[in-house]
Amino acid sequence: MDSLETMDEKQIRFVCHECDALQMVPAVEPGHDANCIRCKSRLFRNPRGGIDKPLAFLIASMFMFVIANVMPIMTLTIVGVKLRTTITGAAYIFYQQGSPELAAIVWLPSVFIPGVIILSLFYVLFSIRFQMNWRYTKPILVLTGRLLPWGMMDVFMLGILVSIVKLVGLADVVIGTGFYAFAFLVVLYASTIASLETHTLWECLTEQQGSPMEPTNG
Amino acid sequence: MASNVVSAMSRGIAGCHTCGLAVQMPDNTEVECPRCGAEVHYRKHDSINRAWAFLIAAFIMYIPANTEPMMRTTSLGNTSADTIMGGVIYFLSHGDWPLALVIFAASVMLPLLKMIAIAYILILTQRASSERRIERTNLYKIAEILGKWSMLDIFVVGLMAGLVQLGALTTIAPGPACIAFAGVVILTMFAEMAFDPKLIWDKME
Repeated sequence: MDSLETMDEKQIRFVCHECDALQMVPAVEPGHDANCIRCKSRLFRNPRGGIDKPLAFLIASMFMFVIANVMPIMTLTIVGVKLRTTITGAAYIFYQQGSPELAAIVWLPSVFIPGVIILSLFYVLFSIRFQMNWRYTKPILVLTGRLLPWGMMDVFMLGILVSIVKLVGLADVVIGTGFYAFAFLVVLYASTIASLETHTLWECLTEQQGSPMEPTNG
Repeated sequence: MASNVVSAMSRGIAGCHTCGLAVQMPDNTEVECPRCGAEVHYRKHDSINRAWAFLIAAFIMYIPANTEPMMRTTSLGNTSADTIMGGVIYFLSHGDWPLALVIFAASVMLPLLKMIAIAYILILTQRASSERRIERTNLYKIAEILGKWSMLDIFVVGLMAGLVQLGALTTIAPGPACIAFAGVVILTMFAEMAFDPKLIWDKME
């Protein structure tokens, strides 16, 4: 009980997102995690490499995202007819076939949402890293958090692999540049997310923009 | 140690669901988070009822998702329709058991296990059970992470239908199970997001 009242400069008051346990969390060394005293869930991490590391991975992801979405993922040859498309192209054919809702279900989590996440993260990380104090940093960070579960490029990658195996029986399959770029993109994107800690971003933002820590009553 | 852990709610503090800030709540009213601007509340609103509603809808969708065909292949005038299990059996009969296993795990087992897991968590939470709280919290987190992998088969159909089209002798078209299947995945994600894991730890006396 008393530990909750003591104010220590290096400790922060934290509420576990999973079990609501109120606790004082001491400073975390880079590369280590802070875990909940009650349910043992991870409260937050202090990733090595600060903001530079995710920003570097993110910039690489941006380039790879463009290549992966502009270049064809594979070329099929069925009795002399050559077919080749990008992911968006495949979704567009789905749309033309008369299933716009399915086209959206395929295209949104594999192209659109990851694209928006990458761009918004760039805005947020760039603004924090270079202390730009850009106006929309906070709402965009909130938006990114909401979108994160709906980006499914990793699942889509496995989907590409399964379709290649299925298509080999129907056609001659030649893997395209887009496929390799997409594979790299999945790794780079996962590395960005893994080296990023939302808690750190919010702490940095508070420090830079200085916001009232207590809500205004009534 | 663990015995004197207090919940934030008992001290009039709520953790912001969006940015994690510990916010001192004025009274029972909802406030805006001073840090991120999102609405702060002790527990997600009407959590258990909303989670059940999404979960039941997902259970219903799971039936057509498995009985209806996922994909129609037309080759030289012959049309064949494949359900998910049909695809699994096709790969098994061709000796491609790793692929059969991946599709079976992602499309059949995973959504079913996720729905059962959420139902189990919801029932025990409604009973205010104090059993296996840590295990239930972990189960919730696993369900949260793995759920999206069930989209696999929809992506496969989407890619194949999109690729094998233009002027080819063979065409692939999506079947009615696609939309039902996407429904299962999206509704279970909504159910999991509607549920507040903090309820597992509340003593409802």
